[in-house]
Amino acid sequence: MNGNEERLWKLLGDWNIPVLPMAAASSAGMAVEVAKTLGHPVVMKLLSRDITHKSDVGGVILDLGSDKEVKDAYHGMMKSVKQHLPEARIEGVVLQKMAEPGLEVIIGAKLDPQFGHVIMFGLGGIFVEICRDVSFRVTPVDREMAREMVLEIKGSPIIEGARGRESADLDAIIDVITALSSMLEKNPDITEIDINPLIVYSQGSVAVDARMLTK
Amino acid sequence: MYRVWLKNEISGEIQLTLKAIFEPESIAVIGASATPGKWGYTILKNMLGNGFPGPVYPVNPKATDILEQTCYPSVLDIPGPVDLAVIVVPISHALAVTEECGQKGIKGIIMVTAGFREVSGEGKQLEEQLMGIVDRYGMRLIGPNTLGVVNAHAGMNASIISKLPAKGGISFITQSGTLGLALADWTMEMGIGLNIVVSTGNKANVDDVDLLEYLADDKQTDVIAMYIEGINHGREFMELAKGISKPILAVKAGRTRSGSKAVFSHTGSLAGSDDVYSAAFKQAGIIRIENIDDLFDSALALSVQPAPAGNRVGIISNGGGASIIASDTCERLGLAIPGLEPGTRASIKELVPKFASYSNPVDTAGLASYETYNGIVKHMLRDPNIDALIVIYVHTVMWDSRIPANAIVDIHRGRCLKPVITCWLGGAGTEAGIDILKAGGLPNYPVPERAVKALASLVKHHGFLKKVKE
Repeated sequence: MNGNEERLWKLLGDWNIPVLPMAAASSAGMAVEVAKTLGHPVVMKLLSRDITHKSDVGGVILDLGSDKEVKDAYHGMMKSVKQHLPEARIEGVVLQKMAEPGLEVIIGAKLDPQFGHVIMFGLGGIFVEICRDVSFRVTPVDREMAREMVLEIKGSPIIEGARGRESADLDAIIDVITALSSMLEKNPDITEIDINPLIVYSQGSVAVDARMLTK
Repeated sequence: MYRVWLKNEISGEIQLTLKAIFEPESIAVIGASATPGKWGYTILKNMLGNGFPGPVYPVNPKATDILEQTCYPSVLDIPGPVDLAVIVVPISHALAVTEECGQKGIKGIIMVTAGFREVSGEGKQLEEQLMGIVDRYGMRLIGPNTLGVVNAHAGMNASIISKLPAKGGISFITQSGTLGLALADWTMEMGIGLNIVVSTGNKANVDDVDLLEYLADDKQTDVIAMYIEGINHGREFMELAKGISKPILAVKAGRTRSGSKAVFSHTGSLAGSDDVYSAAFKQAGIIRIENIDDLFDSALALSVQPAPAGNRVGIISNGGGASIIASDTCERLGLAIPGLEPGTRASIKELVPKFASYSNPVDTAGLASYETYNGIVKHMLRDPNIDALIVIYVHTVMWDSRIPANAIVDIHRGRCLKPVITCWLGGAGTEAGIDILKAGGLPNYPVPERAVKALASLVKHHGFLKKVKE
C-alpha cells in the first residue's frame, strides 16, 4: 500500500470504523495463501502508488472463490495493468474478503476553505452520482445531527426499509458519521475522504472501499 | 465556549470602536466636493440633509466652504473632536488622509474610495498599506470600496442613497454596494422600516463577523438581513450566529453548482461551495432565502410579528381561490392547515352565510364586513389548534378595503400573541386598507404566496430557537 492508503485503513481501524479483513501479497503463490487465510470468496485489488482509478486498468477483480481463480486473477491483473500503464510501479495486490450484499451508502468529507471539514452522506451508486441525493454538515457532527443527515435525503425511506425490504442499521451509519467527524478533528490535514461503499446490514456495517487525499 | 471568550476578551473593544462608525457624534467627510454629481458632494449632502444632530465637517484643501459649511484643508485643522471619517478622495490620497485621521484620534473610517484589492495587484498592496495605518492607530474601517453606511435611527446617511429609509427594526448587511442601495430604495417604496444599512465593500478590516456581533447587541435591530457573496471566516461566523437569538436571514449569491472538475472523490466533486453554505447556515440557524424580494418579505414579518408556537396556520379569506393558493403554498413549505375546534366552527358559522366554509381555511363567501372579519379573526386566534393566521381580503367594488383592515387592526392592537400576516389582493382600491394595516403593524403582501413564504420564515426561526433551547 502506498503511504496514504496505509494510513487511511489504519485511521479507519483506529476510529472503530468497521473494515473487512485484508492482507497484501506480492506474488501469485502468496495471494493464494492469503486468500485461504481470509476465506473465499475474496476481492483482489491492485497495489500501486501510481494508479488511483484501479478499476479502469483491470485492477479490481471480484468474487474469487478458489485457489485457481486467485492465481489466474493475479497473473491476469499484472498483465492487464502492464498493458494499460507500462510505467506504473506495482507493489502487488491487496486481498479482501468479499462483503455480504447489503445497502450501499457513501460517507465522505471535504475540507472547505471557509468552513473547514464538511461531511457528506448519501446512498451509493446511482443515487449519489446521478440524483445528487446527498446531505451535508459542517463538523463536528454529533449523533443527532448525523441522524438528521441520514433522514434528510430523499432516499431515506430505503434505509428505513421501504417496500418490504429489511431496514438498514441507522445507528451503525450514525456511528460511522460521528467517528469520521472525530477522526477529521484530529487529522486536519485530510482534504478529501470517501468511504464508498459502506455496506449497511440490518445490524452493523462494513467499509469496503475508501480513499483519502491529504495536504 | 467560543462565544463567551469572544464576548469577554475582544468584543467590548470591537463594540466600542464600531460605535464610532455606526453611532458617531461628529463626522468628517474627507473629499467633500462642491460639484453636484460627484460622490463627495452627494455624501456630504446626504449627511447634512437627514437630521444628523452632531457636527459634520467637510474636508477639502481646495475649498473654503461647501453647502454653507466651513471646509477644512485637513482633518487636523478641525477644531473639535471627530469620531468618524467618511473618505471619498482619489486613491492617490487615500493613505495620506487615513494617516491624518489616525493622528486626529478618529476611531472609525468609512472608506468609499475604490481601486484597492478589487482591481489589481498594486491595489492589493495599497490595501495592505492602508490596513497597516488602520491597525497602527487602532481604528476600525468599513470598506474600502464601500457605498457607505446608514443609521436611520441616528439620522445618519453616510452613503450615496438619496433618501434616509424609514426607521424600523431591520438591519441590512450587503456585500454588493449597488444592489444593497437599490434594495434600500425599494424598502422605502414598500414602507419597510430599516435601522442600519452597511455596504461591506472589500471587508479589509470590519467583516461579517464583526458586523453580526455588533448588530446582535444593537438595541434598535430586531432582524438581521444579509446579502452575501462570500464569507471570510466561516467557522467563526457560524459559531457567532448560533448564539444570536435575533433572526438572521441571508441571500447567498452563486447558488449554481460549479462542481469542481477534479474527481478524486465523490465528496470532492459533489460538495460545491453552495452546499457547504447551505449546511453551515442551517446549522447556525441562519434562514437561507432564495430571492431578494423574499428577503425583505421575511424580514418584515420577523420584525413586526411575534414568534408562533408551532406551524399550524389558520386562513381566512372572502374568496375561495386565494385561500386555496395560500393553503397549497403552506403545505409545500411545511406549514400545517389544521381543523378548528367545534366551538370555533360553531361561532364562525354564526358570522358567515349558509353556503360559506366555516372550517379552516375559512371562506366568508364574499362577505368582508367589519363584524365578519373581526369576529372570525378573534375566534380563530383563540382556537388552541392555531399558531398563526393569514388574513386575506380580495378586493371587489362591493367593499371598502379599509373596513376589514380596521377590523383586524383593532384586534391586533390588543397585544396579540399569535402572528397575523395579511394579504390585501387587488391593486388599486386596496391602498387605503393597506395603509391601515401597515400603521397597525401588520405585514401585508400583495399575493398569498409571498405572505405564506414570510410566515414560513417566522416559523423556521422559531423552530430553530426551540431546538437550541432544548
